[in-house]
Amino acid sequence: MSTASENYIPGHAAAAPQAGAVKLTMILSGAVFALMMVFGLIMRAAQGQWIELDAALFYQLLTAHGAGMVGTAALSGAAIMWYFGGRHLVLTGGIFWAFLGLFLLGVVLILGAIFIGGYGGAWTFLFPLPALSGGAWEAGAAAAFMLGYTAIGVGFLLYYLELGRRIHTRYGSLARALGWNLILGREDNDPPPPAIVAAAAVTIFNSIGIILGAAVLAASLVHLLVPGFEVDALLAKNLIYFFGHVFINASIYMAVTAVYEILPEYTGKPWKSNRLFAIAWNAVLIFVMAVYWHHLLQDVVMPPWMLVVGQLVSYFSGIPLIAVTAFSTFLYVRGSNMTWDLASALLVLSVAGWSVGSIPASIDGMISVNKVMHNTMWVPGHFHTYLLLGEVAMAFGFMAWLVRGKTIARMNGLDRAGFAVYLAGAAGFVTVFLFSGAASIPRRWAVHYEEWLTHDRIGTLFSVLVVLGTLIFVLRFVARLGRSEG
Amino acid sequence: MQPVVLLISLILMAALSAVFVLAVRAARDPAPGPGANAKRTGLIWAMTIAGVIVSVASLREWPHALASTGDALEVNVSGGQWWWDIDTTEIPAGKPVNFNVTTEDVTHGMGIYDSSLTLLTQVQAIPGYTTQITYTFEEPGSYQVLCMEFCGVAHHDMVNEFEVVAAEE
Repeated sequence: MSTASENYIPGHAAAAPQAGAVKLTMILSGAVFALMMVFGLIMRAAQGQWIELDAALFYQLLTAHGAGMVGTAALSGAAIMWYFGGRHLVLTGGIFWAFLGLFLLGVVLILGAIFIGGYGGAWTFLFPLPALSGGAWEAGAAAAFMLGYTAIGVGFLLYYLELGRRIHTRYGSLARALGWNLILGREDNDPPPPAIVAAAAVTIFNSIGIILGAAVLAASLVHLLVPGFEVDALLAKNLIYFFGHVFINASIYMAVTAVYEILPEYTGKPWKSNRLFAIAWNAVLIFVMAVYWHHLLQDVVMPPWMLVVGQLVSYFSGIPLIAVTAFSTFLYVRGSNMTWDLASALLVLSVAGWSVGSIPASIDGMISVNKVMHNTMWVPGHFHTYLLLGEVAMAFGFMAWLVRGKTIARMNGLDRAGFAVYLAGAAGFVTVFLFSGAASIPRRWAVHYEEWLTHDRIGTLFSVLVVLGTLIFVLRFVARLGRSEG
Repeated sequence: MQPVVLLISLILMAALSAVFVLAVRAARDPAPGPGANAKRTGLIWAMTIAGVIVSVASLREWPHALASTGDALEVNVSGGQWWWDIDTTEIPAGKPVNFNVTTEDVTHGMGIYDSSLTLLTQVQAIPGYTTQITYTFEEPGSYQVLCMEFCGVAHHDMVNEFEVVAAEE
């Protein structure tokens, strides 16, 4: 056992502003994560024919699960980055409340569109599917779904405008906040800490992603109202996948600030920005926006060079992740004599899960492999790895840290059980997906053939463990909130 | 190809996981010395060189290359909610087939499966475009076309089939 003050880096522990808003956001995130996991469990059980589920309802759950998980990953990541950004910047609390309010408005619209309006066009709203449901939902439901996205997008733009404005005020320019002085070898007496480098990069690429997402949302909404208004389907797909890829990646890149800011409390070594770190983040800034073409590798009418870039960047974007973030984590942990509590264990797990998940993603990013893996269960296999064992683990680690107090104690029995159940469940769950992908089982099918049921049933069992582990983490967080010092 | 891809992925994932486990176990060992960053540089170079080799090897022949029209059988496939129409029901084995794929409504994905439900190849069907892929069937038998891109409430019912027959001598 040790205390935070023993290891804590002086000056690192500035009072976190708007901790109440962040804690509320994490309660909401935990609750929605748990609910969406239950939706996932229901879908796996239905595919395994353990329960009967109408296909229309299955696809509504699929839509809610996708939108809910992506949205909540982004929400929790945004709360984490706001919290740690507040250690270095003066952020306006009203902006965060407006962001949260718009997010919740979006959630209401999306849930209404799905469970009242019957919308089941998947979170990717691939043009022109929202307008052509084959009688499953009306245009109004699709419009409500997209207006929900719009509300969430406006909230995120407000959030990033505030962050960008405050970063600019504090550091003079986004370029300096991105660590360009470090890269160029210029003297900088006040270099940006890792959380600010991350915040600057995410502010830039996710703002661009959301604006392009807004463009295709607006076009899709006009198409719903005026069916004669046509949009090129391939252009729309490019915009949707640019937005979607950037947005879900931004959730991880926001949440990783918890690793930068919390792990030093345990290792006693500050996580500092240096030249390599800055180069890695500037590479991420480019890679995140250039890699989305790997979602379109079977859209053979795309210019070939774009598909080549998609394959190359898929692979090379793994270098900053594995050689910088993961490798630095090894160095911080090795010889640190750190105490393993739930927060530190989940945060180290999150870097591992994120890194390990990048391997099947990069392999699927090869055009020749993608021909037989695209849109099979391989795809949820790799993204669940870096979400369940990456971003979501970061969020749960942050939540555990928020209610830890000043004393760092080794995991007790319940924490150990929760960690073990969650890790075993998530690792098993994603491994089954990968085996299913290798067995050519298509993703997003409500009804499965007899040959696939064993996969589905084993996956269902593992998903029960994931839900159990999640419930332990979330209930533990809520129970400890009242007596924590934050 | 799929079993090889799975095996390579699992080996690499297990190796990286093992490195994390070793790092965690080494938390009580001596802290890493100044040589650690040299190892990082070596890792970056190793990943870069491996990436260049794999990229060149996998892209040297363009994976989406089409057979010349003189050598290949042309088969037109159109999709819609929720059906596939294939203009040829019997395809000779051993002869390259150019599939010309269109859609009448939303985006679909044409995935070709063999009788053991293994995915052989696929291509997206995009509104307003004709997409093309080439595939040569080696074995006679029944093959299925499944939809690989979510397209609405009966997406999983969007299945059709065709026969591959032994080539005439």
